[in-house]
Amino acid sequence: MARRVSEDLIRLLSRDKVIDDPDIVRLYAREPSGISSEALAVVFPENVRDVSKIASYAYKNNVPVYPQGSTTDLVGGAVPEPSGIIVSFERMNKIVNVNILDSTVDVEVGVRLGDLNVELAKHGYMFPIDPASVNIATVGGAINSGAGGLRGAKYGTMRDWVLRLTIVLPDETGTIMNVGCRTTKCRQGYDLVRLIVGSEGTLALVAEATLKIAPLPETMATALAFFPTLENLFEAYREIKSSGVQPLIMEFMDHETAKLAGEASKSPINVEGHMLLVSVDCNFEAVERIESWLRGVMEKNGAVKVYTSKTIEGAEPLFTIRRSLFPAQVAIASELYPGRKKIVFMDDIAVPPSKILEAVKVIKSVSEEKGLKVSIGGHIGDGNLHPSVAFPLDDDTIKKKVLEWEFEISKIAVELGGTVSAEHGIGLRKKEFLRMEMEKLGSVKALEIMKGVKKIFDPKGILNPGKVV
Amino acid sequence: MDKSLRVWVESEAGRCVYCGFCEPVCPTLYPGGHRGYGPRGRVNIALNLVEGGKPTEEVLKSIYSCLLCGACNLVCPAKIDIVSVIRVFRALMWRTKTY
Repeated sequence: MARRVSEDLIRLLSRDKVIDDPDIVRLYAREPSGISSEALAVVFPENVRDVSKIASYAYKNNVPVYPQGSTTDLVGGAVPEPSGIIVSFERMNKIVNVNILDSTVDVEVGVRLGDLNVELAKHGYMFPIDPASVNIATVGGAINSGAGGLRGAKYGTMRDWVLRLTIVLPDETGTIMNVGCRTTKCRQGYDLVRLIVGSEGTLALVAEATLKIAPLPETMATALAFFPTLENLFEAYREIKSSGVQPLIMEFMDHETAKLAGEASKSPINVEGHMLLVSVDCNFEAVERIESWLRGVMEKNGAVKVYTSKTIEGAEPLFTIRRSLFPAQVAIASELYPGRKKIVFMDDIAVPPSKILEAVKVIKSVSEEKGLKVSIGGHIGDGNLHPSVAFPLDDDTIKKKVLEWEFEISKIAVELGGTVSAEHGIGLRKKEFLRMEMEKLGSVKALEIMKGVKKIFDPKGILNPGKVV
Repeated sequence: MDKSLRVWVESEAGRCVYCGFCEPVCPTLYPGGHRGYGPRGRVNIALNLVEGGKPTEEVLKSIYSCLLCGACNLVCPAKIDIVSVIRVFRALMWRTKTY
């Protein structure tokens, strides 16, 4: 079947837009979640018409289609299971138009967020959504997964920054549709843009987008502080959150994780406790006052060491440790299971900010009970935590324990009034967890409505099948 | 000796967590046109083929288009020596005459 499909696709598109070499195709059938599969072929559309041809072909031939950005997904959202055609948008990577007056940018979805920010910086602007994978993640991947990031404390997630989409439907003709407006205010009936954002490629193939952009901050006051206890840290957090000041960034790492991240990044900063990093964007006239206020709050609440900065450039060294969260988690895994193939299992939950201390404590105790070494970091400004554990691929007992741990963590999040996924998505890994959340909310009917929506967009169920619901 | 080199490639490349952080810094990824022309792809091709198997033409292009510049080594969170993986894998292919 693989041969017939790839020959058809070559006729439909052209030889250079189709890869059917199994060794290369395999590279696209895997993601960092550790989940992998097999695919028939990988296609590389270069414009929306190519996407339409692929969608129409898949519909007529009942072949599953899997849209992909850079496959940094952590929940199995991009894995081709069952086998089908992978649509890689990496060649649709043009920044079409930057419009400063409208504060928008038109892009093809294969543009990497890092590249987009380099271009926008020339105009004094930025795209505020910055997941840890910002340099590799694509606009399309961020749209489909509903990504967030460090600046989520102030700027939210992708759903707040997508104005308009060009999408392609999996039907007879591969219908091309434009949904949404170029204006911030837009009452275009039901909000299809926000339905597509975060739908993990299950409703439509997203080809182009108009995004809102934000001016780069004039400057920012930043404080990096280390606390002897979680209680001290969260008192400082509570005071800042209740002050009326809206931080741009508010990040947390537990002591051990911060220590390893410091070592991984070769930071000269001595990690002396649990880490809280806060940045407030402001104008030059206010920066001294805010910097001094941040330092005061940290010290008053028992910080043993506080580093501050009054400039964007000066803050860079203070961010090094936080940016090394993932390397630290990899380092922990390597120490635990030296020389073995392993998966770093990074979870993603959100709880109301008022419940964050409770969440961290329960996550630590659940992990201890299960004998798992947990590292915790997260975007606590918006209540988003990323506890992480690891398991070696050759040990089913630890793997089982980790899967149970993940379910427990999700239950904790829901019980505290939060959610099982903040910014990574549902994919394959969290479908059961989503059901649990909706059951706890007494809203299982919502899952039926979601399945109905899926059927309207994708009547044959060929678009990223088996994900989300 | 070949066996010990194969074991080394397996152990070094086997540490890849597939995060892709190495890709944005790779000068050959965009011109190549697919993931096989980036470090994540090359490391995992080496891992998949180190025990043998005839490399396809596309795999050879992937492995031999690496400039060995080392940009990926600097950003890999798992601290994999990607350049050495490619270099050793080339040597193994040469010795076992799999190309």
